[in-house]
Amino acid sequence: MRLSGSSERQKCFLELSDGSRFDGELIGAPLQASGELVFTTGMVGYSEAMTDPSYFGQILVFTYPLIGNYGIPSLPKGLSWPIQRGFESNRVNTSAVILAIDSEEAFHWNSFQTLDTWLKEQGVPGIVGLDTRHLVHLVRQTANLLGQVTPEKSEGERSYGEFSTAVKKNGGFFDPGAYEIIREVSSKERVVIGKGSKRIGLVDCGVKWNIVRQLVEHGCEVEILPWDTDFSKVDVSGWLLSNGPGDPKKTGDLVKRVSGLLKDSRPILGICLGHQILALAAGAETKRMAYGHRSHNQPVYQVGTRKGCITSQNHGYVVDESTLPPEWEAWFRNANDQENEGIKHKTKPFRSVQFHPEAAGGPRDTGWIIEQFVTEVKS
Amino acid sequence: MPMRPELASLGRAPKIVLLGSGGLSIGQAGEFDYSGSQAAKALLEEGCEVIIINPNIATVQTNPQPNVKIYLYPVEPEWVEKVIAKEKPDAIVAGFGGQTALNCVIALHHQGVLNAHNVLNLGTSIATLEMTEDRDLFAKKMREINIPVPASFAVTTYKDAEKAAAEIGYPVIVRAAYALGGLGSGFANNKTELEVLVTTALASSPQVLVEKSLKGWKEVEYEVMRDSENNIITICNMENFDPLGIHTGDSIVVCPSQTLSDDEYQLLRNAAQKIVGACGVIGECNVQYTLDPRSHDYFVIEINARLSRSSALASKASGYPIAYVAAKVVLGYDLLELKNPVTGITFAYFEPALDYVTLKVPRWDLVKFKNASRKLGSTMKSVGEVMGIGRSFPEAVQKSIRMVTENGQGLSYFKNDNVADEDLIEALQNPTDTRFYAVLNALHKGWDIERIHKLTSIDKWFLARVQEITSTERTISLLAAKEAVTATDDQFVTQFLGNVDTKTLGRWKILGFSDEQIAAIALAEFDRKQNRLKGPLSENRVQKASHVVRNIRKKAGILPVVKKIDTTAGEYPSPSNYLYMSYVGLFHDPMVDDGKKPVIVLGSGAYRIGTSVEFDWCAVSSSRKLQDEGYRSVIVNCNPETVSTDYNSSDRLYFEEMTLERILDISDLEKPIGIIACMGGQLPNKLALPLASAGIKLLGHSEQTIDMAENRSAFSALLDTLGIDQPNWVAATSKKDIDTFIEKIGFPVLVRPSYVLSGAAMRVAYDRDSLDKFLAVAIDLSSDHPVVISEFLMGAREIELDGIARDGEILTAIVSEHVENAGVHSGDATMVVPAQKLYVDTVRQVRRAGHLIAKGLKLNGPFNIQFLAKQNHIKVIECNARAARSFPFVSKVVGLNLADAATDVIMGLEPKLFRFNEDDLPHVGVKAPMFSFTRLSGADPVLGVEMASTGEVGCIGPTFEEALLLSLEAAKCRRPKKGVLVSAGPEHEKLKFLECAKFFRDINLPIYATAGTAKFLELHGIEVKKLDWPGESNRDVMSAIKNGLVDLVINVPKNIQRQELSYGSQIRQAAARFGCSLITNMELAVAFATALARLPDFVKTHDVVALPNYKTL
Repeated sequence: MRLSGSSERQKCFLELSDGSRFDGELIGAPLQASGELVFTTGMVGYSEAMTDPSYFGQILVFTYPLIGNYGIPSLPKGLSWPIQRGFESNRVNTSAVILAIDSEEAFHWNSFQTLDTWLKEQGVPGIVGLDTRHLVHLVRQTANLLGQVTPEKSEGERSYGEFSTAVKKNGGFFDPGAYEIIREVSSKERVVIGKGSKRIGLVDCGVKWNIVRQLVEHGCEVEILPWDTDFSKVDVSGWLLSNGPGDPKKTGDLVKRVSGLLKDSRPILGICLGHQILALAAGAETKRMAYGHRSHNQPVYQVGTRKGCITSQNHGYVVDESTLPPEWEAWFRNANDQENEGIKHKTKPFRSVQFHPEAAGGPRDTGWIIEQFVTEVKS
Repeated sequence: MPMRPELASLGRAPKIVLLGSGGLSIGQAGEFDYSGSQAAKALLEEGCEVIIINPNIATVQTNPQPNVKIYLYPVEPEWVEKVIAKEKPDAIVAGFGGQTALNCVIALHHQGVLNAHNVLNLGTSIATLEMTEDRDLFAKKMREINIPVPASFAVTTYKDAEKAAAEIGYPVIVRAAYALGGLGSGFANNKTELEVLVTTALASSPQVLVEKSLKGWKEVEYEVMRDSENNIITICNMENFDPLGIHTGDSIVVCPSQTLSDDEYQLLRNAAQKIVGACGVIGECNVQYTLDPRSHDYFVIEINARLSRSSALASKASGYPIAYVAAKVVLGYDLLELKNPVTGITFAYFEPALDYVTLKVPRWDLVKFKNASRKLGSTMKSVGEVMGIGRSFPEAVQKSIRMVTENGQGLSYFKNDNVADEDLIEALQNPTDTRFYAVLNALHKGWDIERIHKLTSIDKWFLARVQEITSTERTISLLAAKEAVTATDDQFVTQFLGNVDTKTLGRWKILGFSDEQIAAIALAEFDRKQNRLKGPLSENRVQKASHVVRNIRKKAGILPVVKKIDTTAGEYPSPSNYLYMSYVGLFHDPMVDDGKKPVIVLGSGAYRIGTSVEFDWCAVSSSRKLQDEGYRSVIVNCNPETVSTDYNSSDRLYFEEMTLERILDISDLEKPIGIIACMGGQLPNKLALPLASAGIKLLGHSEQTIDMAENRSAFSALLDTLGIDQPNWVAATSKKDIDTFIEKIGFPVLVRPSYVLSGAAMRVAYDRDSLDKFLAVAIDLSSDHPVVISEFLMGAREIELDGIARDGEILTAIVSEHVENAGVHSGDATMVVPAQKLYVDTVRQVRRAGHLIAKGLKLNGPFNIQFLAKQNHIKVIECNARAARSFPFVSKVVGLNLADAATDVIMGLEPKLFRFNEDDLPHVGVKAPMFSFTRLSGADPVLGVEMASTGEVGCIGPTFEEALLLSLEAAKCRRPKKGVLVSAGPEHEKLKFLECAKFFRDINLPIYATAGTAKFLELHGIEVKKLDWPGESNRDVMSAIKNGLVDLVINVPKNIQRQELSYGSQIRQAAARFGCSLITNMELAVAFATALARLPDFVKTHDVVALPNYKTL
């Protein structure tokens, strides 16, 4: 919210599916936007979160009240090595953002523009001046709380890519859970990046760039595969099933194709949505959580040890550990609610984690998981 | 892992020694009462028996309680060893008692004491502690694990310096080793500059350090905890507002960091994990970094493998009970099995998410120390701190400035448009305790952020936030200036705000402007329009007008909301009772209604000279008593170093400003049955009357009582009616008043301005000359600000009466006596209970006068009355209708918790009092002041009517002598072993010293003296070694001190208030700097010498005793 100075910002309001309405001010593009209301309690990493494809279709509430303090770096157009840090894809994926106070100027050496100008450039609206803590309470109390952001002088609707027409036709709130949104965030073509002795097939369900960065940094050649790729036509030494948005069951025949990979013995690592898909492919079940994990401070521990890791998470679905087939076992659990955070095959090199070992933003305690995977691929 | 097997297998409660940090001094203050109290609680919860060694009698930690034994002994190896020998503990915990405790446990380890007594050191190992304390070892360790440390080379020639600089890369900083006060230090940008610097430095010092210059780099800290399973968490990080170069204790500290990107945050977090993991820290650790503001380059500066001031701050800023969890971790538990007590449902293994910003601002009291340098640098100088919590950065800034200055007008009060550019540049470039105000005034002057950044290196983001405040202040001024002049203040403010829309007024509140501040800005314009604006507006006038602002904004619905600090930013429902208020938000966090009657207890605010941990003890005692009696105790305080701001100390904690406005806001929400303002010292006491006028019920003393006790004339008139004598005084409003008074009374006189806090700006004038000089420089004589001049009695005893009265009847009162004669501020005096040298009849007169005053003032609660006595004639100095500094000392020595009993009286309950007689006590208690002169270069370490001590200690012993020696040692006045240097000042002091001299001779302690004193002693047959005055020869007193010939200096100034740098002052400063014990009062010197002579083999013969529990009925 603009705290000093005389010029005023346009009014903008948030309507929620529970009927409540909150008035604030617009930053970013003067467009209407809709989606599932979620939050993150991370205190840094706003540009990483906003570009994270897992947030596609979601309106992201930042609980930290001061956002944009260190500005936004210069966003690269395409994906080429080295990949500019600070971004997890080449666009803002959140439908909209909600925060208390944005920084109207940025002085960080790595800053290229302010949050406001970036949002404008990206065609994404944001509301400032709302009681974000109160919104968190509402999100916690209401399952699948949807919202719509409307600037007073709206100049149209934010684009949702290939779902734009569907959203327009249905009217009302955009519920990303109702669609196969993986289509929108996955790469449209196969791309190879990095150089190395081994090639990893990265199944792009909405992959975060830091997964690519880490694989390449560990000396791999990475082939980014659209989510609907026919895996039988791909020759790689290992598979990484990436993170992504939405319900793991709304991913077409991806689960079926992944179960095909399980007949083989090439290493597989699943991350977040990729973890849920691997679990489904293995024959386990996933369920919607009462309280999603949406922060940079989620404690998990390796099952059977007293060793914990602090992880970055953003998910509303979880693998039901009780449905794991006998050849699989729990690898990680959440220390707070004991929900599953990772699984592994008892004999084959198949593993997956619910949290984000690639971090960005958030703690990097579990980066070793990707490193371990690469080692397995290379051996 | 559960408790360590060595402890778990004992088959009984493990007995654990917990070391405290001793008396409060600069750099080691109240935060260790907080850490120590939490640690004790955690150890008790795990079924341990706890033995606390800490001479700081005013702490909550040293409260007797079940399964805890309190030893009020110096935290020194020989005394800790004696306690160990007696108690036979299983383990010792040193990580919660600051550097003092750490040094002690390292010494005990090396002396073999821990091994000999089979005592396990819990927490971080001794080897690791030593490694982290040793610059070279630490740097080596860091290089091993590829953590960058700033390059540093010690060189002895210019050639080597040049080589070193080439390797490090320019700019470099050159530091002369072994030179005090940064002499011969500077920055070199190239070879030429280096040559000049190094040759100069080498002229005075054999060795020069050439280091990488990190001027202008950011300073960032991480608070990390590691358990025995190598689980590591970052509780939070903190970023200094000021760049590297100012001690973090003297820096404005922001939590969490505001200008770091995710990459930078995680880079330093990862490094912290690597460091504590590689060092093998168990428990809490603080990691300090410096970060390049232009790249990802960083260096680790140092780590502190213990609870620290920063960890206490981090604990309050994040809500994570660091010390409590760390105590369980050192017992062996891992973080995954410990619950997070703030949520009750999540675990200790997680990292707090904050959804607010906190700002720690130090409180310096440098003006209270004569001649002290006000420059800030690598030596910490602040005596206290506050923490402001907000959801906008300006809100946190403005709150914390109001908190630290105790001024409701906040930043606006410090606006000064008349600073010359050169002065401003100087103030910005060379930081002192007022630099923040220089930043503010530069912005007020319209200087741009770039210019201020160049001069200060303060991050532009921070400057931009402060600019939001100054530009808005300008807007408010301009708007007010447009208003027409009205008849009254209230009308003007009403008219002005009538033309401000709700949204704009709301923004001002979000930017942290207080009602008083808005009123003050408007009234300044009001006065300016009438050409009558002269200096700051009077507090009363602004406070009155602030009610207009308050009413208007309340009508407009502009109200602060209450938010919880719950460590999870609302991700989990939390029963947290840790609260703050903000204008950034619309909804109060949901609170459970416990159905209890709320009572608000006001805490002490920032620690400062005169207000310290003792008032926290009072407030905490009172709050816990209220809880026991079934009330909802609601604490308001803003000092992160306190136990009262531990969420365990009350039912609801408002970590908030102690201003009229905020307390009224809290009252509006809590609807308390009343407020207790008499437990937190001067600040709440000052708020009592305005609160009462605003309709808040004062519990305890009535407004009339407080008013009469505070109002000198009214109190004096009361004494006259009661027939109680008092020193003659006059409230002079003109030179003529003063002259008339002096004619009648003569010299010396005590001079003080109208409002006095801990003796600030008080002076004794011995003659016309010094009186005139003082009046000319320090006092603006006017009818608004009268100067109180009173008779100053020489050679009088000073007596205090601490007690509790109900409806004008004293229920209990304890007499204590100062060791020093009157003239030493009561906060700096050595105090003894029971009184040792008073006539029985003097005590009777004191008690009699006490009863009369209690009746006259209708005292109804805690009180303290101060008396002078000379030849069995008493005079009353003052009466405080509130709990006093001496309450915890007196309470613990006599075994009666005065704060508890006072709370009963305040609440109209029957206090559990027992009849006792001080004469029946099995021990004597002595309280001694703790000074911090070693950190205050330039300050004259001398006692006077102005308080200068930063803390106190209190010990008990079977005799006065034993208690005195213990408490003096605990206050760093050690038993001399080498020699004593005396300069006894005036003749009558020399006479008094004769007695001492004989005692020193008896214990074979060589006596050194300056010319006059030496001659005098020789005349009286005392063998003495004569030393020359400073600089007269190479056998001067300074070299004797420097070369360690003496370890005790007795230096009694001729004239208490002389300010110039005399020989005496040089000697005293040298004594403080070179670690000699220093005594500047002859009565104390005599008592000390007597005790030394009577107890020749003190440590061996003294039988350590624990503080008895509070007596119960």
